[in-house]
Amino acid sequence: MNKISPIQSIGIPKPLVDGPEKATGKAMFAADFQATDATVGRILRSPVAHANIISIDTSQAEALPGVLAVVTEADCADGYGVLPIAMNEWALARHRVRYRGEPVAAVAAMDVATAQRALDLIDVVYEELPAYFTADEARAEGALDLHDDKPGNIEREVEFDLGDVDAGMAKADLVREVDFHCAEVCQAQMEPHAAFAEYDAARERLTIRPSTQVPFYVHKMLARTMGMSESHIRVIKPHIGGGFGCRTETLQSDLIAGLLARKARGTVKVVLSREETFITHRGRPESHIKMKVGMTKDGTITAVDFTAQQRGGAYSGYGIVTILYAGSLIYGIYDIVSARFQGYRVLTNTPPCGAFRGHGTVKTRFAFENLIDGMATELGLDPFAVRRANLLVAPTMTENDLLVNSYGLDQCLDWVEKASGWKQRKGKLGPNKGLGMACSHYISGASKPKHWTGEPHATIHLRVDWDASITLLTGAAEIGQGSSTVMAQCVAETLGVDMGRIRVIAADSALTPKDNGSYSSRVTFMVGNASIDAAQNLKALLIEAAARKLEIAPEDVECLGEVYRGGQQDQGLTFEEVVMEALKGEGTLAVKGIYDTIPESWGGRKYRGAAIGGTMAFSYAAQVVEVTVDPDTAEITVDKVWVAHDCGKALNPLAVEGQVQGSVWMGLGQAMSEETRFHDGLPLHANMLDYRVPTIVESPPIEVGIIEANDPHGPFGAKEAGEGSLTGFLPALTNAVADAMGVRATALPLTPDRLLELLEKKARDERVSANASGKVA
Amino acid sequence: MEYLPEMHLHNPATVEEAIRLHDAAPASRYLAGGSDLLVNIRRGIEQPDHLVYLNGIAEMHAITDGPDQISIGAAVTLRELAESVLLREHFAAVAQAAGEVAGPSHREYGTLGGNLCLDTRCVFYNQSEWWRAANNYCLKYRGDTCHVAPAGKKCFAAFSGDVAPALLLFDAEVELAGPDGRRRIALMDLYRNDGMDHLTLTSGELMVAVHVPKMPSAIPTGYAKSRVRGSIDFPLAGVAVRMGLQDQLIADLRIGLTGVSPLPFLVRGLETFIGRRPDDACLEEVRDVVRRQAKAMKTTLTPPHYRRRVAGALAQKLAESIF
Repeated sequence: MNKISPIQSIGIPKPLVDGPEKATGKAMFAADFQATDATVGRILRSPVAHANIISIDTSQAEALPGVLAVVTEADCADGYGVLPIAMNEWALARHRVRYRGEPVAAVAAMDVATAQRALDLIDVVYEELPAYFTADEARAEGALDLHDDKPGNIEREVEFDLGDVDAGMAKADLVREVDFHCAEVCQAQMEPHAAFAEYDAARERLTIRPSTQVPFYVHKMLARTMGMSESHIRVIKPHIGGGFGCRTETLQSDLIAGLLARKARGTVKVVLSREETFITHRGRPESHIKMKVGMTKDGTITAVDFTAQQRGGAYSGYGIVTILYAGSLIYGIYDIVSARFQGYRVLTNTPPCGAFRGHGTVKTRFAFENLIDGMATELGLDPFAVRRANLLVAPTMTENDLLVNSYGLDQCLDWVEKASGWKQRKGKLGPNKGLGMACSHYISGASKPKHWTGEPHATIHLRVDWDASITLLTGAAEIGQGSSTVMAQCVAETLGVDMGRIRVIAADSALTPKDNGSYSSRVTFMVGNASIDAAQNLKALLIEAAARKLEIAPEDVECLGEVYRGGQQDQGLTFEEVVMEALKGEGTLAVKGIYDTIPESWGGRKYRGAAIGGTMAFSYAAQVVEVTVDPDTAEITVDKVWVAHDCGKALNPLAVEGQVQGSVWMGLGQAMSEETRFHDGLPLHANMLDYRVPTIVESPPIEVGIIEANDPHGPFGAKEAGEGSLTGFLPALTNAVADAMGVRATALPLTPDRLLELLEKKARDERVSANASGKVA
Repeated sequence: MEYLPEMHLHNPATVEEAIRLHDAAPASRYLAGGSDLLVNIRRGIEQPDHLVYLNGIAEMHAITDGPDQISIGAAVTLRELAESVLLREHFAAVAQAAGEVAGPSHREYGTLGGNLCLDTRCVFYNQSEWWRAANNYCLKYRGDTCHVAPAGKKCFAAFSGDVAPALLLFDAEVELAGPDGRRRIALMDLYRNDGMDHLTLTSGELMVAVHVPKMPSAIPTGYAKSRVRGSIDFPLAGVAVRMGLQDQLIADLRIGLTGVSPLPFLVRGLETFIGRRPDDACLEEVRDVVRRQAKAMKTTLTPPHYRRRVAGALAQKLAESIF
């Protein structure tokens, strides 16, 4: 007899549900949308870094045949920004420009050449002001404030002092303090920013398809900027060619497309060039970190004392959150008993930074893991032993009140140590070769939403009709990370049905429930849980219906996914029959599921901003990097990476492996070659030749170990999988180079020229000391 | 990438027709692979109304093995060069250099002529029209200041083709055709040390072929380039080396450089190494000679210091490895 059982969807490799469209080229990205009446939107950008706008004359542009609309700040009802407490940006610069490339005006025209001619006809008179391209310049005595309400160009100063740091340092056998400098990096996602906006002039309604990770925020900011009722706007998220954080806030191009469409009373497509996409930025800020750690002879960390200064760019954006994360997430990975932090987020005349994969944590973690690796060497300790001497024991609350309910870092360490052959191979690879390791962690969604409204964190609708298909409606933004697949899996698993029954409709504000968006690795945890909740609610309805039809009590119904029955002897009802019964007297089934975080996860109150860092669960990762260095050219080859990531239950191991490899690879770019560079505020790097994303030639084999330290609150135990593994690569690389060459890099990216300087300095120092000892002899 | 303006495309079948078409249109450019030109057009650096496409000209596609020389049509693709058994046998450095250009897709349509006539490059020049205008342009194009060396009146934009230094090792000649007929000049004479105007081509001239004399006996040659990434990138420094030994002593030594000045060139003063044993000390001296002559300027994001050091290091490594 065939044993009938619920169909399993969780924990087995599943291709992504939107894979076929992408593989066949049928997926529609924002720039792919066409309309016969579509006009071309193009943006005039400031040529100067800091200036008052004396006047903008658009009359000639407006008079040019073929031009349908010209917009400036005068067309904007209000400013915008991702944080309700720091909305100081305008879709088009208002009275003042603060970085080179800031949008000043925009046109919609019949074709691109006309649009460009119109831009050339716009006359803007600027009165230049002193400009500051580094955080130090902007903070210097007498510097002009970029924003009147931000004295000293400080966006936010963060301070905490928890435990007794001074006593901790006094107790240490070794105290070391090192300065670290990390370059600014950009997401460089494959798809340049684009938006396709249609304005229905008769009904005064806007429909927009923006390349965004956060359709809900775009919706809100469009309403605010355009002075429109939110109910008259529809935001449909098309397929997205990557985001990695630069699209976790509304971008000017989204707003400009809306403004132009309304003024042109028609359809406008705005597609930014690669240069404009770089200028829009929202990447990871240049940071200077001073890290001081006390350690005992056995590797126990007694205290951490550190500062961070971030060059935030010209507007607030996510800045306050970024500098808070840079402090708070020193906790949550090791047992840190005392830590002191002072952080400065600085406003400068460069493009605004934003939230980049691993938001806020990456450079702090780089500094910390690099420093303790050097201290381990000094103390004659194995780097693994140092990490193991400082592990947390879950469940616990950290000193800054972060909730840690699940913790697989110990298993991550074991896995990479074994897989890389660390014990047998470390120190025995021969000249110019080395092994380095490091750890990292990341949140599974920020527990406190930015827009605190009392709504749940996530809402899912399921609709079941006479055809017995299940339509899953979600506001969550599928951006290539696999969120739609995870939700389908969660629903299918809960019901025990075949995933093929489920159709996911995502991120269309006219159809799908609101979702905050795809950022801070919140979707799997929060929307996954809401999906389970919705499926359980649906299942209860179906069981009731089955009970009615089978004439038994609901608790006696055995749900086997595609079959509902009263017992083994019962032939049972098919899913279709159960659905038909459930529809009787009810009509189409529409059920809902929600998810909310628990107050214990909301972070602490021990200092101002302590809520940032609060999360339901942390992911953990460890990695080992093996390198070979060419001593003559200082070129580094990464031979192999072993990475273990604790994501709790791996809902889709195939997607987890892809996310972890992608994270490591992105860390590799940041560690080795990627950086933004400016010439008086003009981006020198704003193309794919000078912004050096690794090619496949540099991409090493990355062996992934999935560690499943299930979280009690996670969907089936799952936690974050898409960010945590990025960070560890940076210190693991510098630690490996230190092992290979005896020089420790404290500035990133570690390009061949930077490494050559370190190697030459080492050779000079050795000559000097050889000469000195020669004299003594 | 900025938008491509409308242009007329001409598709001649012969060299003479190409020259006529080019001559007839006031603002016209020859187009082969387009991997350099089209990018520059999108950036507003070039603004031709007419493009004369050379890939339909059969004469320019041939690799001909003569008794004394090998002739390579200027429209031969870089992939064809890299894979040519004939070139690998006779001029290994040329095939290697072609295989090191950019990435595989660029080599599929990039041509020998295009690589030899590549525009010089500089971070202040290879930017969008908006960017260059915001920076008051530069000496090379529409401006009057060199942002690399603001005090001077010389343009330092670097020649960045990979194939030229390799061909220089073999006394290659280029065959040019123009409104006044054909002429043949030494490849070295195709270039001048001026980033603004580095090619000696006269108006309307195009490169038809490259002729490379065969060497009487096989001398080992090789090419290596430094770049941040192992694909796509232009050379931060590119080094071609030819070194022949007789009785364990250096009998022949030439080194060509690219990426470090407005023109590709052969390193001077290497005759002092003839007759010396190529031991570590000798090759370190070779390295130092190369370093001194690789006078890279701040035309790339990677600093000049590194490009000089790495040019020397690559020369040394090549000399150690090619025989």
